[in-house]
Amino acid sequence: MSVEERLALTKFEVHSEPHIILRTEKCKTCSFKICVSSCPAGLYTLNESGEIQFTYEGCLECGTCRIVCPENAIEWNYPPGGFGVQYKFG
Amino acid sequence: MSEKYDVVVVGGGPAGLSVAYFLADKGYTVVVLERGLEPGSKNVFGGRVYSYPLDKYFPGWRRDAPIERWVRREMLSILCRENMASIGYQLSRKPDGHDSFTVFLSRLLKWMASKVEEKNVLLASNVRVDEMLFRDGVACGVRAGEDKIEAEYVVIAEGANTLLLEKHGLRGRPSPRDIAVGVKEVVRVGREKINERFGLGDEEGLAQFLISPVFGGGFIYTMKEYVSVGVVYRLSFNNHVEGKDVIEELRMHPEISKLLEGGVPVEYSAHIIREGGYKDLMSKPYGKGYVVVGDAAGLILNTGFTVRGVDLAIESGRLAAEAITKTSPGEELSIYMDLLRRSGIIDALKKFKNVPKILSNQRIYVEYPDLICKLLDNIYSVDEFPETLNESLKKAVKGKTSIIRLLLDLLMTVRSL
Ligand SMILES: Cc1cc2nc3c(=O)[nH]c(=O)nc-3n(C[C@H](O)[C@H](O)[C@H](O)COP(=O)(O)OP(=O)(O)OC[C@H]3O[C@@H](n4cnc5c(N)ncnc54)[C@H](O)[C@@H]3O)c2cc1C
Ligand code: SF4
Ligand code: SF4
Repeated sequence: MSVEERLALTKFEVHSEPHIILRTEKCKTCSFKICVSSCPAGLYTLNESGEIQFTYEGCLECGTCRIVCPENAIEWNYPPGGFGVQYKFG
Repeated sequence: MSEKYDVVVVGGGPAGLSVAYFLADKGYTVVVLERGLEPGSKNVFGGRVYSYPLDKYFPGWRRDAPIERWVRREMLSILCRENMASIGYQLSRKPDGHDSFTVFLSRLLKWMASKVEEKNVLLASNVRVDEMLFRDGVACGVRAGEDKIEAEYVVIAEGANTLLLEKHGLRGRPSPRDIAVGVKEVVRVGREKINERFGLGDEEGLAQFLISPVFGGGFIYTMKEYVSVGVVYRLSFNNHVEGKDVIEELRMHPEISKLLEGGVPVEYSAHIIREGGYKDLMSKPYGKGYVVVGDAAGLILNTGFTVRGVDLAIESGRLAAEAITKTSPGEELSIYMDLLRRSGIIDALKKFKNVPKILSNQRIYVEYPDLICKLLDNIYSVDEFPETLNESLKKAVKGKTSIIRLLLDLLMTVRSL
């Protein structure tokens, strides 16, 4: 099962504004790209030219990327009240 | 919302709800602000809660809490490449106050919230708090969007991801070295199959701790109809598997896939865990007009085999409530730290202060489990010319690690547990 299929199991109430903003100019010079391997939702990916792509839909609000990024490139907040991931079991 | 309350609590997890529960009893007006749609909708944990704080403070909980199963089987397993090495411990005694149960955290919190609401606490969901408010250095409320909520006391129960505390410079951002990520899948397997495959009676539950040379740590908890399986990976390790694939990796292990065969996955979740232990504990989890409870303060105990977060969250909530009743508005809530010390929680954290060092030693997760697998493989693959244990050990260790390093690691582990 792929991570996309897994994410489809969990309920999300996606807000129109992203709650995580990536300052991609910092990513350009970052040699770690550790966000890619750490995010349990696989939301950080590299495109063919090796640039970071990020989408906030499907974010599990786990907090990992904010802590792991060595360049402080991630502006991280929770989605507005009531939005984002909706765990039934937890 | 423009009213003034005695106490505003940020976060409706076990810690925040606990503070509200105990303060409402003492006649304080309390509001709990939770960013989720309802209590429990943002919380993630493994699956086991220790009973003692519920026994002490929630009369009748054994009848009406959403208990899944009573833990009667503890297991510690190493996942070898294809096989599994386990130590099991079977508990035959009945619940007597020192037991634990499996539960879904979202459901437990909904139940706790109902107990809190019975006491006329206002539980405001859908509210994301954006900052704390201070007047002359004294915490006097919080701001959520356009709304300002004023209070005599502010309780920060925001959990492991300490955005608010960091924003106000009350805590630094944790180092990736002190953080692990827990990723979990809940699978509907069915009661009968669970009983049969895990060797359990109807009410009996299993708590299994996993060590894997491939992905680090993990866990299995059996619920009535569901099984929760999870992986815990350290951010500082050279991880072989990407975070998004760890659950699949666990699911593909032959022994695990047997247990979950035919099961239907129903939820995927993840959350960071603070694993810094004693050194991650806030040296001053209080100030003028505010206290910090639960995970946010670093009150989580990882003994190496078990994670105790929910019980400490409830206990710290109770102590924070007591501190508030004993401190005048505007004063430092320093009595909270004294109460934490007297309760034994601080000593417990101190006792296990070296565990984070072991957990951050990659050899413990990778090389030694691998070695044990090889050793067992040698011992149990019988051929014409059997090996002695000594020969097997030498063969397993060969080229892997030095015996001296192994002994040193072993010594360190034994001394810290
Ligand atoms: C993978 C994993 C497995 C675990 N396994 C176990 C286990 O088996 N047993 C155990 O006892 N413990 C376990 N723990 C630890 C346990 O989950 C925590 O210790 C416990 O949940 C802490 O409670 P808390 O109330 O401090 O924080 P949380 O449960 O994190 O609650 C914080 C609450 O605050 C809310 N919040 C945060 N910021 C804001 C804001 N700005 N505005 C409004 N609301 C906000 C959140 O939505 C959340 O509801 C585990 C943890 C993880 C991650
Ligand atoms: S680790 Fe940080 S800086 Fe590097 S690519 Fe990822 S987000 Fe960008
Ligand atoms: S918070 Fe977690 S799930 Fe969301 S983007 Fe960051 S690492 Fe991925």
